This record gives sequence, structure tokens and C-alpha cells, in this order.
Amino acid sequence: MSGDSSFLAQPGRRAAIPIMVLLLLGFVAPLLAVVGFSFMPPRTFGLWHEPSLENYERIFSDNTYVSLLWSLGLASLTVVLLALICYPVAYGLVRVFGRWSTALTLLFTIPLIVSENIRLYGWVLFFIKGGVLPGTLKALFGVEMGDFLFTPAAVLFGMVYVYLPFMLFPMTLGIAMVPNQMREAARDLGASRWQVFREVELPLSTPGLMIGSLLTFVLAVGAIAEAKVLGGQRIIPITHDIEIAFTYAQNWPLGAALAVLLMLVVSVLVLTVLKRFDLDQILGKR
Amino acid sequence: MSKPILQLKNVRKAFGTLAAVDDVNLSIGEGEFFTIVGPSGSGKTTLIRMLAGMEKPTSGDILLHDKRINDTPANERPTCMVFQSLALFPHRTVGQNIEFALKIRNVDPAVREKRARELMQQLHLPADYYSKNVTLCSGGERQRVALARALAFDPQILFFDEPLSAIDYKLRKTLEKELKDIHRETGKTFVYITHSLEEAMVMSDRIGVMRRGKLIQVGSPNEIYSTPRSRFVSEFMGDVNVIPVEANGAGSVRSQSLGASFKVLANSVEAKAQCLVVRPEFLRFLDTPADAQNSLRGILYNEYALGSRIQYQVRVGEKVFLVEKLRQQPFKGKLDDEVLIGWDPENAILVADE
Amino acid sequence: MSDSNYSVRHILIGVWTAAVLMFVFLPSATILIASMTASRYFQFPITAFGFDWWSKTFNSLEVRSLAYTSLSIAVVVTLIAVVLGFFGALAFARYDWRGRKLYQKFILLPIFFPQSVLGLALLLWFNALGFTLSWKTAVLAHLVWIAPVVTLVMAIQVYSFDPSLEEAATDLGASRWQTFREVTLPVLMPGIFSGSLFAFLLSWGNFPLSLFTTGADNTLPKYLYAKMVAGYTPGVPVLGTISTAAAAIVLFGGYLAMLLLTRNRKAAL
Repeated sequence: MSGDSSFLAQPGRRAAIPIMVLLLLGFVAPLLAVVGFSFMPPRTFGLWHEPSLENYERIFSDNTYVSLLWSLGLASLTVVLLALICYPVAYGLVRVFGRWSTALTLLFTIPLIVSENIRLYGWVLFFIKGGVLPGTLKALFGVEMGDFLFTPAAVLFGMVYVYLPFMLFPMTLGIAMVPNQMREAARDLGASRWQVFREVELPLSTPGLMIGSLLTFVLAVGAIAEAKVLGGQRIIPITHDIEIAFTYAQNWPLGAALAVLLMLVVSVLVLTVLKRFDLDQILGKR
Repeated sequence: MSKPILQLKNVRKAFGTLAAVDDVNLSIGEGEFFTIVGPSGSGKTTLIRMLAGMEKPTSGDILLHDKRINDTPANERPTCMVFQSLALFPHRTVGQNIEFALKIRNVDPAVREKRARELMQQLHLPADYYSKNVTLCSGGERQRVALARALAFDPQILFFDEPLSAIDYKLRKTLEKELKDIHRETGKTFVYITHSLEEAMVMSDRIGVMRRGKLIQVGSPNEIYSTPRSRFVSEFMGDVNVIPVEANGAGSVRSQSLGASFKVLANSVEAKAQCLVVRPEFLRFLDTPADAQNSLRGILYNEYALGSRIQYQVRVGEKVFLVEKLRQQPFKGKLDDEVLIGWDPENAILVADE
Repeated sequence: MSDSNYSVRHILIGVWTAAVLMFVFLPSATILIASMTASRYFQFPITAFGFDWWSKTFNSLEVRSLAYTSLSIAVVVTLIAVVLGFFGALAFARYDWRGRKLYQKFILLPIFFPQSVLGLALLLWFNALGFTLSWKTAVLAHLVWIAPVVTLVMAIQVYSFDPSLEEAATDLGASRWQTFREVTLPVLMPGIFSGSLFAFLLSWGNFPLSLFTTGADNTLPKYLYAKMVAGYTPGVPVLGTISTAAAAIVLFGGYLAMLLLTRNRKAAL
């Protein structure tokens, strides 16, 4: 069935080819190029030099890795905060709001169509001196508000804001995957509401929670606009370092090495989590 | 009937303007196997969900041991339900599923396991299934795990919401009997709902028939079978011959469409619209009209083999009659022959036309 | 637990959800308000409303060319992504073939990948290949991320597609192409439709990929970012509002069209 001559006999394989070609040329090849560049001597622009580990050594001797830690730390915090913020909402969308759920879901979707930097800029105008919040506080209570913009907290705030839908929707799917009869059965067997939640609802909705967390973490680790717009360069996330290396500093190999570090963290996470899921079951279950 | 354990008084459940359960009165005795049958949409699921505590009645009272339990939530009732989907927890093993209610009640793990293993043995589940993932069990095994889980905390009443409906015929027949055996072994009160009167007949001590939210007849399987009170109940019991009739003097009714009169038992004739119901097994082929008190002449149109019996379709004008006989009884009729069919008054019942 | 406890819980969830929704819409509302000021600097509460900046923005040639670039990228991306995604989704969910599970996970990788890093990797890659960066390279960059998203969106529809429909069509005498045209394509139309909506909107609003791969060509999000960093001008909220409104119109227009389409189909039956 899968001899060389009949490799394309399976219609699924034929259908997969176009997008596979795109991803091999536009995703795998660039990433391999980045890996290759990361072993080139600093400030070179070709792949034909003697490989070296100089870039990686520099990252750890120059404290550049601090930006990686910032990114990982902020992303982890974002995931935790979003999990707490979104769970009640996701629960409500599945179990409480009934026929209003569709409309509410649509409302939560709308921000996704607005470019993230526009929305973040909205927060700048909200928090800036003379902006919506300080202006209101001053006009109503005569209170002067301390600076919130351009702090690490503002960056975190922006990340929580931008990635909210990416936690909310997988979580909603996860909770919707728990059949109602499961909850009733647990209740009928004597479980209190809290026990139903802990023993049945939470473990059965973990796939949604995991995918949501993974998605938000990965996106947040790669966040760049939040620090630029809300952080005012006070925090340097790893993405910013990579960008500097690739653009102003013209040090591709260093930028590539930083990118490889980030890719390692992300791919280890993604691959371990994705390995656990059968996508047919999650997506096909209707 | 033994002392009542569960009583329903004028129980009604409305969703909007629609009454899913309408003014149901019922008393279920301790240790009884009571089955509620009805077609889909008859309100039986709503009724059992109220009994288990998953819905609240709009009005009326549900009493358990003479105590009103309308507002007692499901987790505080000494009752348990086996769901149609079984609702086995897929993230738990067979053992953990069975022990769930005990874990909730903080029972010591060793005691829990002992109880679970006892139940597994009682329900013919292999001992090594204890740590097996419940999703890997077959349909019949899952049924048994669900039953064991419900029995584990020794509830006073077990409710069953059509748990066997998705099971193939042969296994269903086995499980029906097993369930009745478990009922006898445990002596608990079982309340079962199903849309199959056949299933109800096999297991129940008493049966209640539901239609459009109302409980229209309650009785032993034999009563429901042999003396249905309405056309609906008699037809729900399987193939029957129903002839709309009107009163025609003492001991006689007349069918307008067949243009014939039939003798009936004198005390059963009422003035309101009625139907004469004759079960196929009580109709028989006659050699001469004198062989039975009621007879009709028709054409033998088709025959259906039903295992130990054979059923014949006989057409009398526009009207189709079903006649059944045992396979070993001799019969020479061939398709398209003219045949004579008949029955005696004691084998026919007059029921309300509703 | 009593009934009142139960409803208190529901009320709390409702209040929380309302608060989160407000949080979600606050910045867009702020932008809208800011776009309507007459003054050069944003000061809240607003003292003078005015729409001068709106007319200025609408008449700006630069803005028109930006919008044109963004639109071209989004349209081309949508067309290609839908074709790739359609076949990709069939391979994802319809056919059973060896290597499918691996393929499914591979398709997800670009989605689960930091976009800014992908943008930079592509920048390096295009440079290494000697491509001049322009809106065309941006199309490629967008596709790497958007085509998998569209595949996934369509796959959800394909999962609910009953393969016996195709078999029935073939059995009734349809050729492979006829089966595809008469059965597969129309049944999967809603998925194709929502997939293209996704593709368009994601491309239209994309910032991290465009930032590194458009070269000299500028898109609306990229231009807005440059203006934001350079200092406040009322043109930013105005253009932000316009860009958002355009996306909203596409979204709701698409939603309405879908509604009409399904209604017509039902009416035809």
C-alpha cells in the first residue's frame, strides 16, 4: 500500500502536500537557517564559516539571558492570571448564560480582529497622565494617580489583556467537553458542588485548560508589542533583544542564538503537551 | 403492596407553559421493582429526574418515608441513579469509579476497596479490572460498573434512566435478567424507566404507563397486558387488533366500518367511545363461523415468521387484522386464500378510545 | 446547599463576566473617544469634540496607500490560505492515511510558535535567499501562520462531514470531480467561509509578522506602531478606529452573508 510508486495513492497524502510544501519552505527551512546562523561567528552574514559556540557563550557571560528570564517569568504569570480570570467566565459561557452564550462569545471574539498594538495604545491613552483614568480620578475626586505606564506591571497587564481570548476559548471548549450527566452523576453519588468541581469537572476539563495555557504561554513568551507600547523599554523581553541583534546591531548570529534558546523552551513545552492529546478526539467531538 | 417508601402527590413539572409531568400521584412500595414506561416525550425522564433530585417539581410533593424531599438536593438524598449514558468518569479506573461515593463520604481507603471488590464479585466483574481504565471496558462491563458504583454507598432506592437502551438485543436480554437477580439479592427498591414495555414486563413488579405527562395506568405486568384501560396502553404493548365500536344493546357492540356486530362480556359495555381490542394470539382461523362467537371473512395477505410463532396478515375489506398461531399448529391456508377468522368474547377487551 | 446560594454563585459569575467584558472593550472605547477630540493633545475629560482629524485622515494619500497595501496582503493571503487550508483540512480530518497524526501536530506548530520570532526568522531567511522585502514577502510570512489556522478552522467543519455522502454520490454515478463539485464543496462551504473570514481578519490586523517582513512597504498596523512610538498625534486613534471599524464591517458582513446563505439554502429545500 505504501510502496514508493504508490506514495501518493492515498488521497490524504495528496491533500496534505500544498500546505506541507509551504510549511517546509516557510517554517522549517527558516528555523533551520536560524539554528545554522546561531553557530556562526558574530557579525557574519553567511553560513559558510567555521561553526563556533561563541554566541551562546556571550549570551551567558553578558547577562543577556536575563531578558529570557523576564520573558519566561512574565509569560508564566500571564498564564496563571489568565487561568484565574477566565475560568469563571468560561464556566459561565458553558453552564450559566444559556442562550446568551453565543452573543457573549461573539463579544469576546471581536477584540481579536483589532490589531493588538491599537488596543494596547488604547490602554496607553487610558492610563497616561491626563488620560481616561487619571483624568476621571482628578475630575471627580481630585486624586493624582501614580505612574502605572512604563512599568513591568503594565507589561504584564498588557499581556493578560491581549492573550485573554486565547485562554478563554480553549477553556470554554474544555468545560463544554464535560457531559452534564457526569456532573449530575457525581452529585447524585453524594458530592458537594465543590467536590463535583474538584473530582470531576476540573480533571475532565484539563485538556482545554492545558491547551489554553500552552497557547497563552507561547504567545506571551513571543510578545513584543506589549513591552514596546506599554513598557516604554523599561523591560527588555527576549524578543526585543533578538530584534535588536537582527536589525540595529546587525549581529545575526547572536540574534539567531537567542532565538534558538527561545525556540528550545517553546518546542519542548509544545511537544510534551501536544503529545498527550488526540486531536481527532478534541476537535472532532461535537 | 408493602409499606410505601416513595410517594408522589400531585407532582407537576412545567417548562414554560408546557407541563412535562402533569399531576402525577403514585406510591412505590419498599423493595419494589417499579417501572415507568412511555414513549419519548411522555415525561418519564423528567419524572425520574425529580425523584433523584436533579429537577424540582413546579408543584406537588415528593415524600420519602413520609418526609417531604422536594428541596433536598441529589447529593443529600439516600438514592442513586444509573444514567442512560452511564456517566462513568473516564479519568478514573473501574475501582475508583465504584468507590467514588465512598470517597466523597471520607470512607477509609481499605474499607472502600473491600466494598468495591465485593461488588465486583457480585456483579461478575473480573477482579483484575479493579485498576483497569473504565474507558477500556466493553458495553456490558460498563453497565456492571455503573450499577456497582450506584450500589456502593448502599442507597435506599436505585433509579435507572434507560441504561440498557443502547445495548444490542442479546446482551440486553441477559442484563435484564441479571438486573432482576440483583434486585432480589439486594432487596432494594428499584425505579426503572424505559420506552420498551417488553423490557418492563421482564423485570417489574409493577408498571406505570405514562403519556403526555400523565400516569395513565398503574398495575402489575399481567394487569397492564391483559386489561389495558385505553387504546394507547393496549397498542403500546405490541401488535393488537383494534376495532372502533359503539354500544349495540346488552352484551353487543357494533363496528360501523366493518358493518358487523360482536358479542362482548356483558359488563364491559359503556356509553362513551370505545375500541374492541383483540390480541393476535387470541384470533384464530376457523373452519366454519360456528367455531367461535365472533367471526369475520377476509383474505390471507401475508405471513411473518416470529420464531416460535407465525403471524398472518388478514385483510377484511380495508381493515388489516393480525392473527398469530404457534408454529407447530397445523394450518393449510395459502396467500390470497379466503379465510375465516374469529374469537370468543372473553378474549376481547373493550377500552376507552384514547 | 440551598437555592439562594446557587443563584448567588450565578450572579457572581455574571458580574465577573461583565467586568471582564468591560476590560476587553475599554481600550477600544478609549481609542474611539480619543479620535473625536478637536485638540492636538489628548486630555480627559474631553472639552472640545471635533472631527477634523477624521477628514484629514480620510483625505491623506499616505493612509490610502497604507490601506491599499494592507488590503492587498489580506486578499492575497485569504485566497491562497483558503485553498491550502481546504486541502490541508481534508488531510487533517477527512482522510485516514499513514502519518496523519504526525501531520496534525506538525500543522499546529506554527500556531504554537511566537510570531515575532517567526517574523525575525523569516527576515533572516529571506535575506539569506536574497529576496527584497516587500508586501509579497509579507504575504508569505502571513501564510506560514494563517494557513495552519485556516486549516484548523476548516478541519472542525470537515470532522462533521459524513464521508458516506461522497460514496453515495459516486454510487449514484457522479465522477470524482462531480462528487467534489456537487457534494464535498457545497457541504463544506460554511467552513470555507469562516476560514476565509479568519484569514482576512488575521492578516489585516497582523503586526509582529508584518513588522519584520514588509521591508519598505508599510501596512496599517506597522505604520500605527511607528506613529505611536514617535509621539502622540490624534491621527493615531482616528486611524485605529477606522481600521477596527473596517474589520468589524467585514466580520458582521460576513456573518450576515452566512446567515442569508444558510437561510436561502433552507428555503430552497
